[in-house]
Amino acid sequence: MLEGIGGEILGVIRFGDIVPYITPFTLSMFILALTLTVLLALAKPENQILMVFGKDKYSLIKPTIEEMKFRRFMVIVCGLALSGAMITGDLFNFTLFVTLVGITNIGIIAAVRRPYVLEAAFQYGLICTLASLPLFGAAAIVLGTAGTLSLHELETLSVLPMAKILLAFGVAGETGIAPFYAAKAEVFRAPGAPYILMVHLSAIMVVIRTAEILLLL
Amino acid sequence: MELSEAYQFGMIIAMGAAFITFLGFAREKRDLHRLVISDMVAGITLVIVAIVGTDLAECLILPTLVVSVAEVLAIAEILIHKEELKLREEGVIISTPNYSPLGIEVFQSSSIIVALILIIYGAILTGFTGGAVAGVGMVYYLLTRWDGKITKDFWDGISSVSGIAWTLWLVGFLLFFIVPEFWLFALFLSGGGLVVKVATKFGLIGIEGRDSMRGES
Repeated sequence: MLEGIGGEILGVIRFGDIVPYITPFTLSMFILALTLTVLLALAKPENQILMVFGKDKYSLIKPTIEEMKFRRFMVIVCGLALSGAMITGDLFNFTLFVTLVGITNIGIIAAVRRPYVLEAAFQYGLICTLASLPLFGAAAIVLGTAGTLSLHELETLSVLPMAKILLAFGVAGETGIAPFYAAKAEVFRAPGAPYILMVHLSAIMVVIRTAEILLLL
Repeated sequence: MELSEAYQFGMIIAMGAAFITFLGFAREKRDLHRLVISDMVAGITLVIVAIVGTDLAECLILPTLVVSVAEVLAIAEILIHKEELKLREEGVIISTPNYSPLGIEVFQSSSIIVALILIIYGAILTGFTGGAVAGVGMVYYLLTRWDGKITKDFWDGISSVSGIAWTLWLVGFLLFFIVPEFWLFALFLSGGGLVVKVATKFGLIGIEGRDSMRGES
């Protein structure tokens, strides 16, 4: 029933043990990630306006140029890591790219020098580090039980259910979705709209790719 | 799917260690201690990857280590900035720490021939190991005898040499796949590139270490 979850395989690149394969699903996600990265890199950053409660006043937060430059760089790196995670055909490379997305997400918000944002970034970073255990653990268990990491070959092999559970937990922690969202929620109060979007987008796209991998395993 | 007893036993121990560490993380309230515990989690991740015990698993240890170190460094940096901002808001003046020179006697009296032997032996070994051995020789010389000052140009120049050597290594590695007939050339290219890259990196670290040991900035 779940055979060919990503659609029909368009092509396979035999490159040693890693076998990158292209399906309409991975290809469209890859192009989407790259397009979004280009759009966000070109977009102008916003100035955040905070309303003063109970008064007819507002305060304008203007981020500095250096801060914005660093955050844009981090967005580009995050986008590249994201497109890598979308198209890779190797489970371990996928986990590495997801971890890289997590680190760059911390980088995007860590440039904001505000105590509450830094506090949230620190908590999110701790969750990211903790989540690397189930994430890499899942890849290691798949390698130990199935003997390969290539997703193309794993389609026909069976893996332990525990590996799937660990992978789901790892990705959830690394991208800061549902059970770990509390660590990430404060982050979105940071100024600089187009760059914060990347944090959202990368989480969503990584989760979609993870769903494909979990169904395929 | 038949798993060896040793693998199962190792996994049980690693999972037990992970459970204890997570329990400790949940109970600990202070930020610095939680950072240290998250580093321990990264260590257990390495153990889980290493338990698989195949050649491929051996290759996967280095990326796992690099990623976890990057994560721990990033959140440690965030923790420092967070605490600094907190102190600034309270009006505490933060002074940079002063180091007094160590003045270790053996550094002046040690024989210089050791450095020479290490560098020559490293050049014979080539590759990553050779780079490390030659690098130790360079560190030895720089720490004990070299009295020159490093300018910004010197530093940038050495970094550039290191970077170019690294790309040579990459080119050599690609040649293995593209034109396998030139394997000897590719081997020497990558081996030579790596020895220069690691040795120069070690040298730069050595200069840093010497300066902080002598109490210079």
